[in-house]
Amino acid sequence: MSWVTIIWSMEAAICLTLAGIHYLVWLNARKMFAHLLFSFTAVGAAGVAVCELLMLRSESVEQYGTVLWWTQLPLWVLIVSITWFTRFHLRAGRPWLAWTVTVMRTLTLVFNFFATPNINFKVITGLHHNPFLGERISTPEGIAHPLDFVAKLSSLLLVVFLVNAFTEMWRRSELQRDIFLAGSMIFFVTIPTVETVLVQRGVIQSPYLISFAFMGVVLAMAYALSLDVLRASQLVVQLQASEAGLRESEERMTLAAEAGNLGIWVNDLVRQEIWATLKWRELFGFSASETIDRGRILQCIHPEDRARVDQTLSKVIARGGSYESEFRLLLSDGKIRWIASSGRVEFNGNGRPSLLRGVSVDVTQRHLAEFELQQQRAELAHFSRVSMLGELSGSLAHELSQPLGAILRNTEAAELFLEESSPDLEELRAILADIRKDDQRAGAVIDRMRSMMKRRAVEKSMLDLNVLAADVISFVRRDADLRRVQLALEPASSLPPMRGDRIQLQQVLLNLLLNAMDAVSDSSPDRRRVAVRVQYVDSRVEVVVSDSGSGIPADKLAHVFEPFFTSKQSGMGLGLPISRTIIEAHGGSIRAQNDPDGGATFFFSLPVVQEGNAS
Amino acid sequence: MELMPLVRIVDDDVSFLKAIARLLRGAGFHVKTFASATDFLADMEPDLPGCVLVDLQMPGLSGLELQEALAKAGHPLPVIFLSGHGDVSTTVHAMRGGAEDFLTKLAPKKDLIESVKRAVARDEGERTQRNRQKALRAPFATLTPREVEVLEHVVQGKLNKQIAYDLGIHERTVKLHRTAITTKLGVQSTAELMRLWIAVRGSET
Repeated sequence: MSWVTIIWSMEAAICLTLAGIHYLVWLNARKMFAHLLFSFTAVGAAGVAVCELLMLRSESVEQYGTVLWWTQLPLWVLIVSITWFTRFHLRAGRPWLAWTVTVMRTLTLVFNFFATPNINFKVITGLHHNPFLGERISTPEGIAHPLDFVAKLSSLLLVVFLVNAFTEMWRRSELQRDIFLAGSMIFFVTIPTVETVLVQRGVIQSPYLISFAFMGVVLAMAYALSLDVLRASQLVVQLQASEAGLRESEERMTLAAEAGNLGIWVNDLVRQEIWATLKWRELFGFSASETIDRGRILQCIHPEDRARVDQTLSKVIARGGSYESEFRLLLSDGKIRWIASSGRVEFNGNGRPSLLRGVSVDVTQRHLAEFELQQQRAELAHFSRVSMLGELSGSLAHELSQPLGAILRNTEAAELFLEESSPDLEELRAILADIRKDDQRAGAVIDRMRSMMKRRAVEKSMLDLNVLAADVISFVRRDADLRRVQLALEPASSLPPMRGDRIQLQQVLLNLLLNAMDAVSDSSPDRRRVAVRVQYVDSRVEVVVSDSGSGIPADKLAHVFEPFFTSKQSGMGLGLPISRTIIEAHGGSIRAQNDPDGGATFFFSLPVVQEGNAS
Repeated sequence: MELMPLVRIVDDDVSFLKAIARLLRGAGFHVKTFASATDFLADMEPDLPGCVLVDLQMPGLSGLELQEALAKAGHPLPVIFLSGHGDVSTTVHAMRGGAEDFLTKLAPKKDLIESVKRAVARDEGERTQRNRQKALRAPFATLTPREVEVLEHVVQGKLNKQIAYDLGIHERTVKLHRTAITTKLGVQSTAELMRLWIAVRGSET
């Protein structure tokens, strides 16, 4: 066995092996087209190697010519596949160049088909037999075929195409590995192109060694592809790991969601589908397999909350962002379940809302506890109101007895007039009108008393604190007059509305006013002054009650809002703590201070309703 | 000339004032209304007989303060208090101050009218009494200081001789003074003089 045979055979074998491997890869992943193209390249290279060996060992001119003729076939495969490998795998090189290379090479093949002995030689005149690796090898001598330039041109075009691809990739600053591959391909393709020219022109006396150069191309391509395969397998491992991680975190989330009694749901806004966890379905009373839509969810919600929730959802879907909402479900057995829900809208690539994700949790227990607490507070507030009315009972009885007394006297007077032989009807009419007026006056006093006396749940509505303050002032005006206290009200010039419980806030102001009037009762009548001021400061409504009394002893100032702390003999010490509870339940704050010129001032401030947030 | 009694009503509530005035006028009284204690004190016409009905609770001067002011000014008009509600301490206070009566605003008409009648009658009686006293006392004003001295001794039942001795004057002079006294006072006898003296004195204590 000669060295030449061994080396060229091994070369062909290596190329075929690589071709086989990558063909198998392609069989398993048909989308990986590069592997198929590569197998063609490798098969082509193997063919070229075999042809080359046969040429080296050919003994006659005819034999040499025939083998060279056949060599065009693997060469065609080789060059076309390299071209399209570059196009598809490296995504570089101008497509028209690729097509030109393909067409030129195909033309070469066609011309070769009709040429004798082949497209390279018009006639082979003889063979040189030179020693090579201790053997005698053949190199041809003859006249070049006139169409040989087509073959040369196609090879040159391949080089141009590869250079074009290389520069394009360089500009795109692609992966170094790919740029290296393109560079190697140029290098290995240029060598045989140049060599064949030199050998044919007789510049160098050497056999054709193009197969080795092409093997270089094949090896470079194989190396790049195997790195890809390696990377793919690494990705698979990573993907598996992250999938396991995802499953793990999903399980953890499910566990956490179950532990927190959280129901999770996702609304696909594009396909109008809603997916929800079992827990969520359980909360809303859906079975595991029922299909859910927005309409059916809204149907579960308490009629009083339904429109509000619908609006919240529509708003968040239209404007994006997130929402938080609490509402009641009306269960099929008539029971109420409180749900706290929060969610977020996600957008797709074109800025359209695509997903609404949400979490819902049962907060019924919290609401029950809050309700109970609220009831206790309301009870206490009621108790405090009643005791304040007790303080005012003198002036209230008076206010009531005036109209009632007037009605009684008018009635009696009318009776007297009727006893006369010709009663004065005009006078009687005037009496009846007065009776009606006094009746209405008495009714108003009773209404006011009843509103304060009534046991009632907290009832929030939009309030104007200027009006509220004026109402409370009129409530105590009589009492203040009797106690010779000068009452002054300074309303705010402009005031945004606020939301609160009218009676409870009246109660707070009433409490502060009664305290203030008590505080000035020891002063001489001309110095008994109580002033109420309503003002709008730092986005809050502030109500200020100041008196001209002797102030709060410094050591007691810090304790005035504590329960059972009182300076009055008759007081329970609950008025101010209850006031504080009420104010804090409204999201406000209350404080007291001594004034520099004597007297004390109480402030309470409440948040106003921000524009556009009036719900 | 007999003067018509005038019922004065003081209340800060115009509507009530109007109603009660209607009733009392209907019942035949002369009525004058005042919206505050200050108005009343300024224009009360103290010479007219009658009484005052006053609201106990009023801004400014209260009913009790009005009563005090009236007493200080020496106009003994009977005062009837009207109150929205009867609270014990103010009632006691008012009665001690010499209130004629204490009524709630919702007291029956009968009680109200009787109370007013009683007050008017008392004022009338008191005024008659005061006038009679005045008439009785008028002659005493004509006595000279010496005659008063003699009279004081006479009503103690002293004899002329004792009086003359006590005053250091002659018994005859005492007799002359006694004649002048009986003539001036228009009495016939010492016994009659004694009765007159007791009547005048009795009304003063």
